[in-house]
Amino acid sequence: MTTLRSSVAILALAALAAAPAAARPASLKHLLSIYADDKEGPLKLPEGVACSDKGALVVADTGNGRLLTYTFLDGKLAGGTPVKLAEATYPVRVQIDGKGNVLVLDGRTRRIVRVDAAGQFAGAVEWKGVSGSSSVAPIAFKLDASDNLYVLDVAARRVLVAELSGKVGREIPLPRDVAEFTDVAVDAGGRIFAVDSVGSRLWMAEKGANAFQAIGTSLKDRVSFPIYLAEDRGKLYLVDQNGNGVALLGADGSFLGRELEMGWSDGKVYYPTQMCVNAEGVAFVADRNNNRVQVFSVSR
Amino acid sequence: MIAHTLILVAALALSANPAKPAKPAKPAGRAAVAPAASSGNAQKLKPGAKGKLCLECHGAFEEQLKMASVHTPVKGGDCTGCHNPHTSDHGKLLGASPNQVCATCHASVVPAAAKSTHKPVAESRCNDCHDPHASAFKFNLKKDGNDLCATCHKGIVDAAASAKHKHHPVQKGCVTCHDPHGSASAPALLKRDVPALCVGCHKMDSAVLTRKHLNYPVKNARCTTCHDPHGSNVKGMFLANVHPPLAKGQCSMCHEPATSKTPFKTRQAGADLCRTCHSQKMAAMLDRNRVHQPVAEGACLACHGPHASKDKGLLKGNAVAVCGACHADTIRRQAVSVTKHQPIGAGECHVCHDPHGGNAPLLLANPNGIELCGQCHDWQKHSTHPIGDKVKDPRNPNLVLQCSSCHRAHGTEYKHMIPFPTTSILCINCHERYKR
Repeated sequence: MTTLRSSVAILALAALAAAPAAARPASLKHLLSIYADDKEGPLKLPEGVACSDKGALVVADTGNGRLLTYTFLDGKLAGGTPVKLAEATYPVRVQIDGKGNVLVLDGRTRRIVRVDAAGQFAGAVEWKGVSGSSSVAPIAFKLDASDNLYVLDVAARRVLVAELSGKVGREIPLPRDVAEFTDVAVDAGGRIFAVDSVGSRLWMAEKGANAFQAIGTSLKDRVSFPIYLAEDRGKLYLVDQNGNGVALLGADGSFLGRELEMGWSDGKVYYPTQMCVNAEGVAFVADRNNNRVQVFSVSR
Repeated sequence: MIAHTLILVAALALSANPAKPAKPAKPAGRAAVAPAASSGNAQKLKPGAKGKLCLECHGAFEEQLKMASVHTPVKGGDCTGCHNPHTSDHGKLLGASPNQVCATCHASVVPAAAKSTHKPVAESRCNDCHDPHASAFKFNLKKDGNDLCATCHKGIVDAAASAKHKHHPVQKGCVTCHDPHGSASAPALLKRDVPALCVGCHKMDSAVLTRKHLNYPVKNARCTTCHDPHGSNVKGMFLANVHPPLAKGQCSMCHEPATSKTPFKTRQAGADLCRTCHSQKMAAMLDRNRVHQPVAEGACLACHGPHASKDKGLLKGNAVAVCGACHADTIRRQAVSVTKHQPIGAGECHVCHDPHGGNAPLLLANPNGIELCGQCHDWQKHSTHPIGDKVKDPRNPNLVLQCSSCHRAHGTEYKHMIPFPTTSILCINCHERYKR
């Protein structure tokens, strides 16, 4: 009985990875992998990736304690210039603002710093107007089209909406009965999403709302440990770090399919951490434990 | 193997096509399992045969009938109360599945909406504890009192027996506090939940207990957050690991004075309170590239109990339970893995991970994977497939071969914790020219 039960569980795990791919054509097709900087220096445990619609690509090359800036236009990758900052020695998350500046979350100091288009440190985000305890411990952040910051602050279990300067305009509390949130995202309509990794569930706050509501159903049987959410034209990509894949969701949290699988060869992933999708329909995945960033075309 | 596969395929097909609600199974030969007391003569035995016919072949039961506790149908010679003398779909010619046979007369042993149910009961393994025919012990139990419980709960029973400070009810018998079948009102099969169960004997308003609790009004507190109800080697019957301020009777280091209107309110909130003593340690935790999220949140109590614990480091429970509360996917992977990784089973997550923070992804205690595994698997560092910084992984120019190139530390559905069904498939991942 025990053997049967565990065998069924094993098959269920296997089906989790295999079945959705069979049910629907893959929407991510591998184009190329980025293994090195402009001097052929290898990437090491890259955790973060951000891209802009103008072709900019920035990688948080976390294990090497640096950023790498590339361009990816018309299917061609160029650049790979390293940027080392004393103010962000362990970059874990990156975003690009409307002016081409890069915002970096440093894992060690838990501060968000700004880097200008020339690769120079341009100051840290200093929080102003935060209610209650003034301490903020960001573990994730995103930018919207107007360059507003959406910051997941685990010190006070809230999402802060702030200007790039750090002036906080809104605070949205996160539900207390949820174990851990690991990411925040915002769509073009101003809806804010939060990822509950433990419950494998998405939470959403409508534009202007001051509370999050759970959306969709728990994705526990679809993903293992989701840690990152990327939005692309009404679709959501949920990066499943421990499950070595990406779940594709509708804006209502509904499960649409699963992409990618565990492996070491090109096109496969090993503990993926973050991703972004640009206007051209190109997705960049930080494939951390494979020491590379992979580039995929997205079928929309 | 084929049969096994067929079962798996069938199971999968079932899960893929949720069927109509299953009907309760119809017991085969149900006529033979009429309640013992009213079974009459369903088998139309000859006059005088009842109670004797079976013994002509099963003579050994004569001895059982002399035992102290004999099951009522056995005593009445009503073998057909449980068995079908001709044919059966069940072992021992039982007239129905074992649980159905027992439930015919004993359906009420488990409360209808039980808050906790004993695992053997839930799994219809009545015979684990009871002999269905006869035994030397009351209720047809296979062993006497706590000895029976020790069959499965040896650790608890042995610890209780050898404890320096014994709890009298435990000596009397586990069933003093626990209902062995199920509890309608409490977890852990307790007859009543804590503290109601405890205050049944311990008068919390007594001068002695009031003094021992330093005048804090603990009568509604959960006694088991500090005390081990099975006995302890620590004075005061505290759990094995006691937070020093509590052990020294310095409750007011963390809480407001007992005379306060809010005596249990802590002097500071959350991690700030812990920091008053553990500031250096906490500063070191935060001085890492990566901090475990509960640490970043200042949620020390997500993993630790503030008073006392059975487990080292005042963990709220075994690490499998504590870590598994959030990392259920990882624990589940080990549970279904063909090959088990010993530290996970033993709740020693900290052997490989630093639970507070670290400088490597996954909070690995050593960023060098080979050295990490080599803590326990030293031999494999020297006598295995070539691994190390000089051995490039042919699948990926940015990787060198290490233990995790072929194994997954929390297990897989395949032997040896490899991520492929067979070793040869694993090998041809790199050695492509041998692919057939």
